[in-house]
Amino acid sequence: MSKICCLKLFICYVFLNLIFVDTDAFDIPEGFEKSNHTNNWAVLVDTSRFWFNYRHVANVLSIYRSVKRLGIPDSQIILMISDDMACNPRNPRPATIFNNAHEQINVYGDDVEVDYRGYEVSVENFVRLLTGRVPPDTPRSKRLLTDEGSNILIYLTGHGGDGFLKFQDSEEITSQELADALEQMWQKRRYNEIFFIIDTCQASSMYEKFYSPNILATASSLVGEDSLSHHVDSAIGVYIIDRYTYYVLEFLENVHPNSHKTMSEFLSVCPKHACISTVGVRQDLFKRDPRKVPITDFFGSVRPIIITTDPIDIIEIPKRNKNTENKTTNVVQKRMYLPQFPVHLIPSS
Amino acid sequence: MIGGVPPPDPGGGYVSDQNSNNIPSPMDMDSTRPSRKRQIEHSHLAPRSLREVMSRFQVEELHLTLTEGQWRHKQWGYPVLDAAPGAELYAWFSPEVTNIDNQWKKLTSTLAGLFCASLNFIENQNTINPQMSLWPSGATEHLSNSSSYLRYASLPREIVCTENLTPWKKLLPCESSHGFSSLLNSRLIHNTNYHSVGVHVRKICANTACTETFIEIKQTVALVYDFKILNSINWSFKLLFGQGLLGGCPLASSSKIYIDITSNSTTHFKLTPPPNKIVESHRGGSEVTLAIYEIKPDTAMLNIAAKQGTNNRVILNIPPPLYFNRYVLGYGKEFGGIVTEIVNNYWAPIDIVLSENAPWWLPIQLSTLRINGKAKSKLVMGQYYSPGRSRQKPYHLELLLRLPPKSTTTVTIDFEFVFLKWQEYPPDANHGFYIGSALITANLPTAKNFTGLPIEGVTFDSIFNASKPWYPAVFRTNGAMVSLPTPDFSMPYNVICLACTVVALAFGPLHNICTKELVLKATGAPLGLRQKLINLFKKKQD
Amino acid sequence: MAVILKYIIAGLVRFWLIHTDYWQTISNRVEIATPLNSWKRLIEGVYLYDNSINPYEGDSFHESPILLIFFHFILKQAPYIMPMFFTIVDLLTAYFLYKTSKEFVGLLEKNQEKNKDDIANESKSMLLQGSQLSEVPEYVLSVFLFNPYTILNCVGMTTTVIQNLFLSVSLWSAVTGYQLISCGCIAFATHQALYPITLIVPISILLADANKGCNKCSYIRTLLVFVLCWGFLIYISAYIMDGSYDYVYNTYGFILNVPDLKPNIGLFWYFFTEMFEHFRLLFVCAFQINALVLYVVPLTLRFRNEPMLLATVLITLSAIFRSYPCIGDVGFYLALLPMWKPLFSYLMFAYLKREFTLKHGTARLVDGKPAKLVLR
Repeated sequence: MSKICCLKLFICYVFLNLIFVDTDAFDIPEGFEKSNHTNNWAVLVDTSRFWFNYRHVANVLSIYRSVKRLGIPDSQIILMISDDMACNPRNPRPATIFNNAHEQINVYGDDVEVDYRGYEVSVENFVRLLTGRVPPDTPRSKRLLTDEGSNILIYLTGHGGDGFLKFQDSEEITSQELADALEQMWQKRRYNEIFFIIDTCQASSMYEKFYSPNILATASSLVGEDSLSHHVDSAIGVYIIDRYTYYVLEFLENVHPNSHKTMSEFLSVCPKHACISTVGVRQDLFKRDPRKVPITDFFGSVRPIIITTDPIDIIEIPKRNKNTENKTTNVVQKRMYLPQFPVHLIPSS
Repeated sequence: MIGGVPPPDPGGGYVSDQNSNNIPSPMDMDSTRPSRKRQIEHSHLAPRSLREVMSRFQVEELHLTLTEGQWRHKQWGYPVLDAAPGAELYAWFSPEVTNIDNQWKKLTSTLAGLFCASLNFIENQNTINPQMSLWPSGATEHLSNSSSYLRYASLPREIVCTENLTPWKKLLPCESSHGFSSLLNSRLIHNTNYHSVGVHVRKICANTACTETFIEIKQTVALVYDFKILNSINWSFKLLFGQGLLGGCPLASSSKIYIDITSNSTTHFKLTPPPNKIVESHRGGSEVTLAIYEIKPDTAMLNIAAKQGTNNRVILNIPPPLYFNRYVLGYGKEFGGIVTEIVNNYWAPIDIVLSENAPWWLPIQLSTLRINGKAKSKLVMGQYYSPGRSRQKPYHLELLLRLPPKSTTTVTIDFEFVFLKWQEYPPDANHGFYIGSALITANLPTAKNFTGLPIEGVTFDSIFNASKPWYPAVFRTNGAMVSLPTPDFSMPYNVICLACTVVALAFGPLHNICTKELVLKATGAPLGLRQKLINLFKKKQD
Repeated sequence: MAVILKYIIAGLVRFWLIHTDYWQTISNRVEIATPLNSWKRLIEGVYLYDNSINPYEGDSFHESPILLIFFHFILKQAPYIMPMFFTIVDLLTAYFLYKTSKEFVGLLEKNQEKNKDDIANESKSMLLQGSQLSEVPEYVLSVFLFNPYTILNCVGMTTTVIQNLFLSVSLWSAVTGYQLISCGCIAFATHQALYPITLIVPISILLADANKGCNKCSYIRTLLVFVLCWGFLIYISAYIMDGSYDYVYNTYGFILNVPDLKPNIGLFWYFFTEMFEHFRLLFVCAFQINALVLYVVPLTLRFRNEPMLLATVLITLSAIFRSYPCIGDVGFYLALLPMWKPLFSYLMFAYLKREFTLKHGTARLVDGKPAKLVLR
């Protein structure tokens, strides 16, 4: 039985390779597989509220900073932060969040855009965001406007257990619900590939139920393990980053838009002696070999550029509609400034 | 833009503002970008995002402020434009809009995306429709019933942080690269006692007959610094903003900094570098001396600083003509009351409109309204009350009052606490629930402490010698917080079981009574095994 | 003489308590005042009405418009009369309950005489004696007058006091056969609190019994009069509110939909505070059916010959299962219980057991062998 499986996999592998080789028209660095995604998105979620969960906000902002630095624009990053740590009255350094006691990097930065914040971060909103079933008036910045060419990076951090992740300390999403949401995304052709990272306790339980194709998942800990925090900042009295994200960030700091690092390097980023928990990886749903996938497929951004040597003919220049002016001139509205106090309501004595 | 040195107040606090002394002022030149109505599709300097919001939702006038902290009117005087703690939004729609509530919902969600704020939490249940307290400041067509096109909401819980400042800066033509907004360093401005950013859009007359209009977009920022955090009673741009000002925005037609130096006559301080101009303004019985710096795009690095004289004593703070205080009464989680104390410190009566609004989960009872402890008061000249409805609309009360000279007026109203549904509580239910500020619209007879722009005024210099008989101003009282009774969130299953048990306990016997009849059944001597088997068999047969 | 003394003492206690400092506390207690009946809400409604604000626009007032203008009138003309008014209404309720029980005892005696032949010989000793019967009205009166529940209810000046009066008058007039009064009162109580609608069943049986003649015609006539009265009250209320039926949402809608979750002695607030929102409608329906219609038909079939017992059971059930119950409702049904004092020794299923025993005798024997009573 297993032999057949192996065989099948092998055939599949060869077959895929062939296709890629065939269509390989661009210059791809040696050893990399071509990806056919056309845009990159990131969904970064911190699910925990309250000051003592400072580290989760620092986690998510660290990733935010990295993906932004690697080229995903703010309009394609959905950042969800459950509580306000930066301007929290308990924060002695307002408008800053550090992921390191030495305060090297203010991950909050000067141009952060938080798309969902406070009470808006709920299971309902998260699932709606993923599946695209948002209310009709939702602004662009709160929608995940992905298509079948989108590579999505999903990063979740918070408090989890075996098979669930807590939101706001008051509700939870189960691994089955999450898997179903991703399946719905797949059926609606809302992604090309997903890279799923989760940094919680018993994190790997969250991706075990996934059944949709093209998902590469990694987790900070296996079922039965706790994810631990890295270090405390005694100046503010709370732990300020989790181990896994700390080492991920350390790794990402050395990644540049042009670097040739691969996903497999990312997946082995936090060895057990550093993380204390075991980093879990699930790649059976992912068709490509992580060793041949550049990390910028998920952390960077594709900027499709067509270079043309021929002049482009713009056939039609839209003409200005001159009629509009006539329409507006007939009605002359007389306007005036109103008194700013209801003097007319005061009874004259 | 103004900068200023406030008189150091007795508490040691020290007020400054983006522009100047304890006067927060609109960033006038930077942000007033009139454009003709016809060319509404064009936006030269005006941010396109805002223009689209205005035309798409047919908004006539829009005011949005995001504020952290509470403006202390008694100590600090009056701001140029007051703002409620948290987020505050109000807008007038065009008379052509048919479904205003719908349009309002769309407007709030769009602005929520634009400013990274949770304005999408504004719904009918926290929106009021003030009848007397708010009037359009722009040139308007709907003359009689402007209030029916008005919607007002505030979110006192809203946090204001870097993510709100960033989109605000992006609305400016020079964004944060040049001009005054380059001074707004998030780390320093959020380290203040009070900070507020605002966007105010209105239509102003383009000609004297006012048949055409411009759209005016005013972006304001107000900051109040704390001496103790600055650790110095001298101030400078470097100290306040972490850097000096490197020229104005090249797109601006004028950039000016005004510093209120009126107090210089009593507490001496020295401004460096010296101002370009010093202007004295006489307005409604108050005299203000302003130092003006003109900023050109090519001006060299400017670090305005004030150094206090050596023998400065603490100056007695003279409260403004009208100030107020609001607090919650009561103990326990059954009943309570809201008290608003309004002090008229002036020698003449002052007319005000007090607009109280209570969320639906804090139902107020109009019959308990007491003014200075009396149910019927001669001070009330007009009243409007719109009762709330649970989960649909808030309670809203407006009172037109005439405050007697040199008096304190206390307005008390009682409320009941409401039990919410389990899932209606926020995740941090025990944090407490915020009650929004009350609005106080005052018709001030004096311009003492008043720094608001006259209604036709566009830039800050319009306040010079702008004496009028009345100076209408809208103030916000402080908000309050109550702690609602909370259920045990871990108990839903127990509750369901217990309640169903009670129903079942009644249902069981009643079912028995109704469906069964009493019969006699033989007991007596124990049956033999054979008989038992036969009985069993018989039963089966039945 | 003793009866009058009871009235005087009970009246004085009520009147005195209303004038103590505890009155405010009592009238605010959640056990006594619900959003539906509280004095505070009544005052608020009257105040809003007086200021020409529609009291039904918001969530402040849920009483019937008829009571609204009634209290508006009284509070305008003579607000000082209120304590006296509530005391007298409560004493009247007691009086009518007393009369009801007296009539009822009379009926019971008559029936007993009539059915004497059907009763097993050995059970004859179980028949109710004259002394046993004559003390019943005394008990009813005392229980209503001196039950702390009813006293507190009256002192809290809740509108339940008025509702109880209408219930007692309708019971009394049903027993004595005054059809119009009975239907009018029950229609008013229904108009006020909806749940008394179930009482129309025992009342039509009582009326049919009291007025000899065609039973079915009597039922139909009673129902018709009731529907007309109720419809008239609804119309009058709308007329008071300037032709608007919005108040229906704030009275019946409020009772049925249970939007206010303030604690009271009932089940609804407790249950629906922690109910998952998507099941809410289902359970609201289930609970309201339980309180309104579920038991009416089976109990009627079972007790069609004992309409008074049926009325007692229905009043009890609706007092327990209504959406905003208060101790005033409990006090009322407790006052009805002494009518069944002779049955107390049988406890559960008392009535059935007694009937059975009367018929078949006290000996529990089947074919000469000992047997026990079971339900089948």
